[in-house]
Amino acid sequence: MIETRELRREFGGIRALAGVTLTVAEGERRAIIGPNGAGKTTLFNVLTGEIEPTGGQVRLAGEDVTGRRPHELARRGVARMYQRNELFDPLPARDNVAIAVAAAAGPYRPFRAPPPSELVAADDLLERVGLGGRGAVPARALSHGERRQLELAVALAQRPRVLLLDEPTAGMSPAETARITELIASLDRSLTLVIVEHDMDVVFRLAERITVLHEGRVIAEGTPPEVRGDTLVNEVYLGKVVA
Amino acid sequence: MKTRLAIPLAAVLAAALLVTFPLWSSPWETSRYATTILQSMLVVAILALSLDLLVGSAGMPSLGHAAYFGAGAYAAAIAGQRLGNDDLVLGLGAAILVSALLALAIGAVAVRASGIFFLMLTLAFAQMVFAIAFQAADITGGSNGFSGVRRPTFAGLDFNDATALFHLVALVFLLVLLLIWRIRSSAYGRALVGLRENERRMRALGYDTTRLRLSAFVVAGAIAGIGGALQAYSIRFVSPNDVGVARSVEAFVSVLIGGVGTLLGPVIGAVVVVFIERVMDSYIAFADTVLGLVFIVFVLTARQGIVGLVRVAYARVRA
Amino acid sequence: MTPETAVVQALNGISFGALLFILAAGLSLIFGMMDVVNLAHGAFYMLGAYITLTVVQQTGQFWPALLLAPLLIGAFGFVIEPLLLRRLRGRHLDQVLLTIGVSLVIADVVGLTWGREIRSIPFPAGLDHAVTIMGGDYPAYRLFVIAFGVALAVLLAVVHGRTRVGALIRAGVDDAPMLAALGVDIDRLFAVTFAVGAALAGLAGVIAAPVFGIYPGMDVDYLIYSLVVVVVGGLGTLSGAMAGASLIGPVDTFGKVLFPEFALALIFAVMALVLLLRPTGLLGRIRVAR
Repeated sequence: MIETRELRREFGGIRALAGVTLTVAEGERRAIIGPNGAGKTTLFNVLTGEIEPTGGQVRLAGEDVTGRRPHELARRGVARMYQRNELFDPLPARDNVAIAVAAAAGPYRPFRAPPPSELVAADDLLERVGLGGRGAVPARALSHGERRQLELAVALAQRPRVLLLDEPTAGMSPAETARITELIASLDRSLTLVIVEHDMDVVFRLAERITVLHEGRVIAEGTPPEVRGDTLVNEVYLGKVVA
Repeated sequence: MKTRLAIPLAAVLAAALLVTFPLWSSPWETSRYATTILQSMLVVAILALSLDLLVGSAGMPSLGHAAYFGAGAYAAAIAGQRLGNDDLVLGLGAAILVSALLALAIGAVAVRASGIFFLMLTLAFAQMVFAIAFQAADITGGSNGFSGVRRPTFAGLDFNDATALFHLVALVFLLVLLLIWRIRSSAYGRALVGLRENERRMRALGYDTTRLRLSAFVVAGAIAGIGGALQAYSIRFVSPNDVGVARSVEAFVSVLIGGVGTLLGPVIGAVVVVFIERVMDSYIAFADTVLGLVFIVFVLTARQGIVGLVRVAYARVRA
Repeated sequence: MTPETAVVQALNGISFGALLFILAAGLSLIFGMMDVVNLAHGAFYMLGAYITLTVVQQTGQFWPALLLAPLLIGAFGFVIEPLLLRRLRGRHLDQVLLTIGVSLVIADVVGLTWGREIRSIPFPAGLDHAVTIMGGDYPAYRLFVIAFGVALAVLLAVVHGRTRVGALIRAGVDDAPMLAALGVDIDRLFAVTFAVGAALAGLAGVIAAPVFGIYPGMDVDYLIYSLVVVVVGGLGTLSGAMAGASLIGPVDTFGKVLFPEFALALIFAVMALVLLLRPTGLLGRIRVAR
């Protein structure tokens, strides 16, 4: 579904991505782990078109999409849950989702009021992520955990084929973490998931395969038991975090 | 149920009173001074309403909006002169076309910038339009201005009659108000708000934000052009000042004093600004100083504008 | 164009560029430190020219204005910053809007005080002669403008690159909050920055008064020139102001000779072109456009 070949990106001499090649199959759930500065967020920024790679290629469902702009990739089915929520803060939660629903619905009619079906769809999504009844609350007035849930609802409203989750549980309490993990686990199996996450319990719960990034390179890839058994990975990463 | 009917009824009544102002005010307003002032308030209100689509809805602080107003004014004036036809549709059509095309050309560069940089670029490019109006004297009359603008006719109505012209201005104002209201409550208007609040998210959702910004710039420019045409018909004169910085500032101040991002704010702001600049100006020499100070006070202490202040006061009374 | 007129126009262009540098340096300094585009910059410039007019009328001398006007306008800036801008610190767009209000008031007060006619003053004593260049006469004062601009550029470059104040400015351009964390009094630093920026605008007004005119509306004209210069050269850096002024001064001057019908629009075309090709401006680091 999503493929990269020798993806490179430098920031003024610093190599954030030093030739990343990976293939995520359709419907696969892939986790990308690695220490801070390994290039995970840069990889996501390249996959969503927010940053152009300095070299290499990105393919989406077989199509070369290298250098495409974010909105073009979004229209091809790439959605993203940002690490730091990117919401429309003063707008009610419902409108946050409705804007995303409208985007997925195709060309909008500029001077018509939004159809009621859109708000129904938005409320359904809010219900699904556990924000039922919170639709009228402005995004900025929600708690941190709720804002993460809303962030997920907005991404899902795009009806994506590929969903990139950038630390979905960041800053959440254990209870909230458990809830959002189950929520993600329950998503449609046809949806391709790429998850960046520091919480190894979450990673092992969700991922079918794990890619380990270190200093902009893939140093290991495999099923969770394989990665757990990899000595190099334990040395550079897992050893420090889980142990 | 009572309020659901009351608001539309009040709006219709206010609209009817506005359009018929010259008729019911004639007994006590024989000099037509108030009518003239009201007419220019309506024209500035059209300009301010169109600007707020950018400043308020989309968060694009244009400080060069007079360029499109002035382009519309020149277009209407020149169309009347060159085409030898005074049809209103032709005049307004020319105004809309020229100001929209100008906004498209300038916007193509300016919308690539945002925030303070957008403000700088719109200001600078408006000055370019001013320079062109100033230098293309064969067409625009240059620094002397374009005088003797022909007033339009439409379906047997002759707008050389001052009362008829007022009706026209008031009616077009109401149509523009209605249009802005529709845009604000449409999916498009909501997308503009999304742009203002989080452009990154909008892109990630699949909105082509550059095109969205450009489209808003063109729509706002075209509506400003309508205001310009009405201005040209009203005073039968167009000069480079109509594209100048002072007029852009006038529109911006109107929006901010009245209330950014509200439907009625720009209208109220235009009333205040025109009052200071046209009415107070006849009594005191330092009207611009007053306008500047009022603006500073609003930016410092009441950024939400008059409408925002009223809302806060109303909420307090109800609580 | 004969070689003689080419040389004369080149000198005109360079002297205009030198003036634009003095003007734009102040705008760029304030932006670099405070992230505020001071839209009252043209009004400060105008004030400088009108104060010069009064000094010349009262004393018959030009030179005292060179000190007096920047001092007065700098002091004014020193008061304005804490009185208005400081209240909205961090809200850069609102601070810019405040400067629009300030500009409106200054332009009106200038009109009320000095009248709304075009004024002029003679070349100052000592520079009221002509110099022979390629067989023609050339006003010595314009050469002085060039020399003054170059001297100021050198002085500012030395201050910027070699002194403690310069180090402070360079640090502030990168990260003002960090300076605060290091114990620098940000309030005073910003007030002084704004004052110096305003004084530079006033200084430009003094220098311009004998050659580039004193008239209502000069505030807007020169505000726009300075905006174009910093956008073209690169915002917030001294080298950007130099590069922008060196390009825009001659382009504007030659434009007026070669294509009189497009002259006023030419610099904007240059600005649009630069923005499309180099969104940071020629020597800038901040992207003005995408």
